[in-house]
Amino acid sequence: MGYTGEIEALLQILAAGLLLGCLYGLMCAGLGLIFGIMRVINFAQGDFMMLAMYFGLTGVALFAPGRSWAFATAMAVACAAALVFYGLGALTHWALVSRVSGARAVDTADAGHTGQLILTLGLSLVLQNGGLMLFGSSPVSIPSDAGTQSWTLELLGGDIMLFINQARAFSALMAVAAVLLAILLMTRTGIGRQLRAVASNPIAALYMGVNVDRAFRTAFGIGLALTAIAGVCVATFYPFQAYSGFDFVIIMYAGVVLGGMGSVGGAFLGGLIIGLVQQLSTLVLPAQLQNTAVFVVFLAVLLIRPQGLFGRSVERA
Amino acid sequence: MTTITRRGLLGTALAMPAIVHGTARAQSAPIRLALLAPLSGPFARQGELMRTGATLAVEDVNRNGGIKALGGATLELVIADAGANVEQVTSAAQRLAADRELLAGMGAWASSFTLAATEVTERAKLPWITLSWADTITARGFHYVLASSPPSSRIIPAALEPLLALAGKVAGKKPSTIACINDDTAVNQANMKPLREGGFEKLGLKTVMDENFSVPLSDATPLIQRLRRARPDLVLLGTTATSDSRLLLQTLTEFGLGQGKVPVIAPSANFGTPEMLKNMGANYLEGVIGVAGNWTSKRQAALNADLMKRSGEPWLIQDTLSLYGHVALIADALERAGKADRDALMAALLATDTTEGPARFFLGERLRFEKNGRRADAVPAVFQWKNGKPLTVLPEADAEAELSWPRPG
Repeated sequence: MGYTGEIEALLQILAAGLLLGCLYGLMCAGLGLIFGIMRVINFAQGDFMMLAMYFGLTGVALFAPGRSWAFATAMAVACAAALVFYGLGALTHWALVSRVSGARAVDTADAGHTGQLILTLGLSLVLQNGGLMLFGSSPVSIPSDAGTQSWTLELLGGDIMLFINQARAFSALMAVAAVLLAILLMTRTGIGRQLRAVASNPIAALYMGVNVDRAFRTAFGIGLALTAIAGVCVATFYPFQAYSGFDFVIIMYAGVVLGGMGSVGGAFLGGLIIGLVQQLSTLVLPAQLQNTAVFVVFLAVLLIRPQGLFGRSVERA
Repeated sequence: MTTITRRGLLGTALAMPAIVHGTARAQSAPIRLALLAPLSGPFARQGELMRTGATLAVEDVNRNGGIKALGGATLELVIADAGANVEQVTSAAQRLAADRELLAGMGAWASSFTLAATEVTERAKLPWITLSWADTITARGFHYVLASSPPSSRIIPAALEPLLALAGKVAGKKPSTIACINDDTAVNQANMKPLREGGFEKLGLKTVMDENFSVPLSDATPLIQRLRRARPDLVLLGTTATSDSRLLLQTLTEFGLGQGKVPVIAPSANFGTPEMLKNMGANYLEGVIGVAGNWTSKRQAALNADLMKRSGEPWLIQDTLSLYGHVALIADALERAGKADRDALMAALLATDTTEGPARFFLGERLRFEKNGRRADAVPAVFQWKNGKPLTVLPEADAEAELSWPRPG
């Protein structure tokens, strides 16, 4: 095979890294948005994603006419999941998160961080164990033909063959579309302006007539909606159960910090980089060290650019 | 002449409830058995299957009059969650070891879990039975540990030897190269150790790829890409988590290597679970060969049908069957020991030598143990997916179907 083999391996793994990285990016964008605007570290983000996976599975079981339509149905369910999880996020914020963040936490010594930590960790445990009781312990996934089929690309007269998984490819496109919409929402709409104002200086935003509590609720809802889309997409090719959220939450945090806190686009790129590093590292390192490679890069970025690759090193006012 | 004093009478009266309680307790106090299994975390499904097996066996023993040698004492299961990692297992084992009322224990599924748990239970002199495979479990000089499955070093050759012979007959050419992808858990590394140290060579196989990965796998593409370039005649997939098994098989299919194009051997019971069928579909699994410590036997069709009906499982796998067998083995040993004492029970367990009773719940004819606690003559169970069911193909005396060389679907 010679160099052709090496090039094939590089291109194949690059493609895998890009496809997976887009989904990581979408997960990170959701978490990054919540952290960037509210300064709340949501440890339950992965578990909300797990709920979205089951939402996707149930939606496909109810509405897909057959296995061949399962993936298309899953994409439609992912859009519905965005709306449902926006509502769930707003409700969770209203009922729980608002008690330890925003105006109520201003007077506390640590700006509510301890309360937020305990609340979101507690929520995570409730969701995991509630999920186990409700959905059982068997790993499941959305059974679709796209999940096991790939397109074959032949390059250099067939010397190089690339296999692109259909479910991952469409999911990556969906992820890019969702992030672009989120960026447009943040930069081109009145809601986005309010969210950015609240993120920059909540007290000044309050004086300017912005309903900070409502803006936080919106941010929490959008953050969960983005992660829910990622969850349904992942469920089309990845077997999951009630504890699967934990598999992704570390990646989400690494992506958000790597990309730069407070930037939706930065968080997406952070996730994308993590996907690429995780896969490309296997070209030179044993597969066992995939995640080690991710965290070596993560630490290196923190050393050289503590504010993250695309973050700003400005103190919040 | 004995003088009855007021003080003596009072003392006797005060002691009476304790004496009566003690006698009643000796006659009918339930025998407490521990089950340590992962009931939360990524391996919760396996723990659930173990709990099902143990619970059904306890029900059966109690329904049939309990332990007759102990006045009909019933069995009582004390269930502890092993969680998702060794730290949680150790902590759960410590809690169990502190319970002096426990007479024996079973668990804790993964070899790494069992190795950690038995470090604790051995110190408490608590007899412990496990289905875990790793050779090291019974190679530490422990006196209170029994392992009912064959050791790791015998698991893979059990499937490879007959498969290679069959390939020579059916395909006309014996496979000469193998690619191995294993997770880095204790059991899969123990499975591979003797093969890496000359085992493959003895079988006439050259290793063209030998990769390990950490659980859980995020994407199998880099591994399968490497495998595709290595062009092996056989693939060995050693996984612990069902999600990893599925990702590997799914990616093999995507790369045009699945559905029998390259025969797959998986020394992992999770390759034969009902959820594999649900997640993958029968056509993607057809021909895949699995190896486990225990599986269903054609000789026990009636028992299997009864257990399937009561458990609601479409078929039974190692985790349920072995735990059913472990409870039956403890009940049998208690009948022989004649007293509810840990040392007496352990001696009776080690003295087990039967082809009846608890032996019916394990593959092979005879149930007895070596001095180190490993089951002597234990035969690995080889199963193969045929028309959407993982059927036992070896050993022949227990086989529900014939081993066949996988053909491209």
